[in-house]
Amino acid sequence: VIPPLSHSPGTGALAQWVLLELQGSVEPRQSGGLAGSLLGDLHYTREGVPVLIVGHHILYGKVVQLEKPFAVLVKQGGAPQPGPAGPHGHYTVTALIKTKLLFKTRPKPIITHVPKKV
Amino acid sequence: AAMRSRAEVDATLQTAKLKPAELLPVVHCLSFGPQPGGGECCLLQLEPGLCAELEAGHSLVIRGEKDEHAVLCSKDKTYDMKIADTSNMLLFVPGCKTAEELNADPASCNIIHSQIAGFSKNYWELRRCRPKLKKLRKLLMEDPYDGPDHQKDQTSTFSKYTTEDLLSLIQASEEEILHQLQVIDACKIEGYWRILDFDYEMKLLNHVTQLIDSESWPLSKVPLCACLEELGSLEPREMIEHILLSYGRKYVDAGEVFFEMREDKICRAIAQMLLQNAVKFNLSEFEEVWQQSVPEGMTTRLDQLQGLALVDKSSRPETIFLLKVEDLPEDNQERFNSLFGIREKWTEVDITPYIQDLCAEKQTVGALLTKYARSSMLNGVKVYNSRRPIS
Repeated sequence: VIPPLSHSPGTGALAQWVLLELQGSVEPRQSGGLAGSLLGDLHYTREGVPVLIVGHHILYGKVVQLEKPFAVLVKQGGAPQPGPAGPHGHYTVTALIKTKLLFKTRPKPIITHVPKKV
Repeated sequence: AAMRSRAEVDATLQTAKLKPAELLPVVHCLSFGPQPGGGECCLLQLEPGLCAELEAGHSLVIRGEKDEHAVLCSKDKTYDMKIADTSNMLLFVPGCKTAEELNADPASCNIIHSQIAGFSKNYWELRRCRPKLKKLRKLLMEDPYDGPDHQKDQTSTFSKYTTEDLLSLIQASEEEILHQLQVIDACKIEGYWRILDFDYEMKLLNHVTQLIDSESWPLSKVPLCACLEELGSLEPREMIEHILLSYGRKYVDAGEVFFEMREDKICRAIAQMLLQNAVKFNLSEFEEVWQQSVPEGMTTRLDQLQGLALVDKSSRPETIFLLKVEDLPEDNQERFNSLFGIREKWTEVDITPYIQDLCAEKQTVGALLTKYARSSMLNGVKVYNSRRPIS
């Protein structure tokens, strides 16, 4: 029996998440993978423009209301990756995404003249 | 790793030469969660209506055996699933507020630590598709019901399917499955969905039509109670009622239940009964026998046989043979290959009943023909043939 995709019972309304869309890939700075590492700081200008500081780059983005929202599916159990025929397995809908922050402009490098005060 | 402090954030802003005065006071410090691998989480792009369904608490189901392409089903629709790649990285962030949310809620804090739940370079796209219902008939035909006395093994539940069984095996939404069960005149016997064996079905129909004749009831007003009383000794009452429901339209008059018998459906069934006994028939002989075989007061017409039988106008004399659309492949290309294998050139009138069910939402038969066939003129008539050579 394939269980339906629904949000976990008892959690009330579905969580709303946000999508961040970045050009290229995200690489870990150190070896050891991405787990636990920082991506960067996300600010908004007073006009609502999202600004992301990642490493030595400043990325300016825009807020996009998705015409077709996304559902975030989380696989249950340690089943193998989705095969070519489809995502066989048990999934739950964890959240909905209706908004994305799209960072498409080329990142502006941060030129460090002044050492950071920590 | 220690969480970033506001001081560190401000230091970064200074290095970046961004003016804090031009920014909202709250910053999100984004980090990757303990399991950032995209493998456990994936994104599903929702077609219109599905988002609202999820928010209303309804479920979506992914259906498909290992050898089938998975489909997604809502309560009443079916969608093909396809992976879409983007060249960009998509990160999904819980608890990330938008500028409006931040403005609306004067924050007590000025730093939010958000963990990225996962990331992906692709997502599942949905495309509305026809429900894959051919399997439904196939499953129910494994063990057609042919009466209470002839049950091969009354206790065997091997090839018998409950609604739940069908929901897990058929790649279609629940509503589409239940609707199709009605269309194929399936009935529930002891909790299992059954299709009647055709001979048994004709036997039941014959009981009813003979009774209508002997009682001289009008075809439009056949009383349920009297049928059950007269025929209840011959067949189970549920079967009598089922055959009336299948071949008649139920209505109530002065508190009593009647059926208006469906002439087209009855004539069609009787034609099938006649045609299934040979490869093909002389058309005029068939038409004569057919008219004689239907109940008094009913008129046979060849258009009652659309999708059931095909007339060969090129043979001398003209012939007719059984060709049931439900026996043909479900896949579009395979269906057309099969049809062109049976006959090289088709007129639109002849082929339409055999491809009508392939039309997607808002798709026309004409569009299908444009896509899967090539047209030409034959003796002043437009005909369609295969786009590719048929072996």
